[in-house]
Amino acid sequence: MADVVRWYILFANYEQGMALHDLLDRNEIRNRIAPAPRAIQGELSCGISLLIEEEDIAAARACIDEHRAPHHSIVPLAGQIKPHRDRYC
Amino acid sequence: MSDYVQMWKDLGMDLETHDLLCQVLPTAVGDVFLSQENRPKAMDFWDLVISEVHGIRPAELIKAQAEGRKVFGTFCVYVPDEVVIAANGIVTGLCGGSQFWVPGGEAVLPKSTCPLIKASVGARLGKTCPFFRIADIYVGETTCDGKKKAYEILGEDVEMYVMDVPQMKREKDILRWKDEIAAFAKKVEEVTGNTITPEKLAEAIKVINERRRAMQRVYDCRKSECLPISGRDVLLMTQIAFFDDPVRCAQMCNRLADELEQRIKDGVSVVPKGTKRILVTGTPLAVPNWKLHNIIETSGAAVVCEEMCTGTRYFENLVDESGTTLDEQFMALSERYMKTNCACFTPNTGRIDDILRMVKEYKVDGVIDCNLKFCCLYDTEKFSVTRALKEAGVPVLSLETDYTDTDAEQLRTRIGAFVEMLNG
Repeated sequence: MADVVRWYILFANYEQGMALHDLLDRNEIRNRIAPAPRAIQGELSCGISLLIEEEDIAAARACIDEHRAPHHSIVPLAGQIKPHRDRYC
Repeated sequence: MSDYVQMWKDLGMDLETHDLLCQVLPTAVGDVFLSQENRPKAMDFWDLVISEVHGIRPAELIKAQAEGRKVFGTFCVYVPDEVVIAANGIVTGLCGGSQFWVPGGEAVLPKSTCPLIKASVGARLGKTCPFFRIADIYVGETTCDGKKKAYEILGEDVEMYVMDVPQMKREKDILRWKDEIAAFAKKVEEVTGNTITPEKLAEAIKVINERRRAMQRVYDCRKSECLPISGRDVLLMTQIAFFDDPVRCAQMCNRLADELEQRIKDGVSVVPKGTKRILVTGTPLAVPNWKLHNIIETSGAAVVCEEMCTGTRYFENLVDESGTTLDEQFMALSERYMKTNCACFTPNTGRIDDILRMVKEYKVDGVIDCNLKFCCLYDTEKFSVTRALKEAGVPVLSLETDYTDTDAEQLRTRIGAFVEMLNG
């Protein structure tokens, strides 16, 4: 079975991320705060992202465009969440 | 992609090695927390904190230091936060919950040391933990031999103050711990340059009691048949509490408790009815050690209580707030802290009483007694804990693990069989 693709909205800082998180919540668009996967971060730093499921990404994009919400990029990534992977830190 | 690189550079951290940790943390957080459905909305706060775990709070601590405040790094629930706060100091937990730091600890400690100690020393010496870099002084305690020796090594690298925890709980031991708290207060005054007055200590006692009450509220919600939150989420809340500002921590825990109480009223549970309820007891689970909880909760059971330092031992029992002199307040602190049932005490029957009480309070179906490898104190207590639980007719599974992933499959097999047995 193919890995599930999820979308990650990346930010320059956590203030931007939390602002968009609140905006999406107000618009009832499902989103979850998640550490930005290192594979898509591209910079030497930790930080938050917003995790969006495939079925919600169009609504999230529309909301971002409408409000010109600051963000860095929106990136798809497959196979990030596997509760039985048993790879801990 | 918050840019904390300059902050980490200024702290003298090994950025290249630290980046390896940054690579693995998001995967573990995704697997353990984001895989869950229907989590409480209030967990947003802890999701943010863990996403920026080496960023937001370290930046706050550095800002406070620039304003003249001092940061005390602590290792144990026996160190009284109230004394530090009364002198306008800040208490922070320190890194120690990841295999990532263990090899660095093994460079100077015997391999037969518990992973918590090895990871703590490795995090300091490897320069990969901002909290270890920021703290002005570390405060240790004599709750195990491994720690005592590790503190001698850490003390060569940074200022270290060690509190001598009694090993018994007689009246004279409670008085001795009171004297030890008074001596610690003198040290805190020296480090901070601030005087601890009865008024300031009274206020600090209230602050920490409020945090305890808030955490207890969250735990009380887990006593409901309708389980409104997973054990993984509560564990994260507790782990972060050691690092957070205590006032904000209480606010966030109360906000979470509000939501959980509403969920119970609305009949919203995170697990199907009939899911077996597990109490976990044993050694602490420092962040980001989530292996045990994740395996239990992805094996068809739910963790409803932790009788651990990263659990009930952290917040149960309040300090008496009626004292008006330092002498009375130090005694009240001593009496409260000496109620914490750590395996370093002999005898330690209070821990068994606690476990049996919590089995009833949290409507527990089975107990998992798990200690970190090479913790002979908790390992030895397994005998009396298991006997007491068996006599009470409570199923118990005894485990030993460390921070590696290599035993995960074996743990899954044993925990899966235990849950299957509970399901009858």
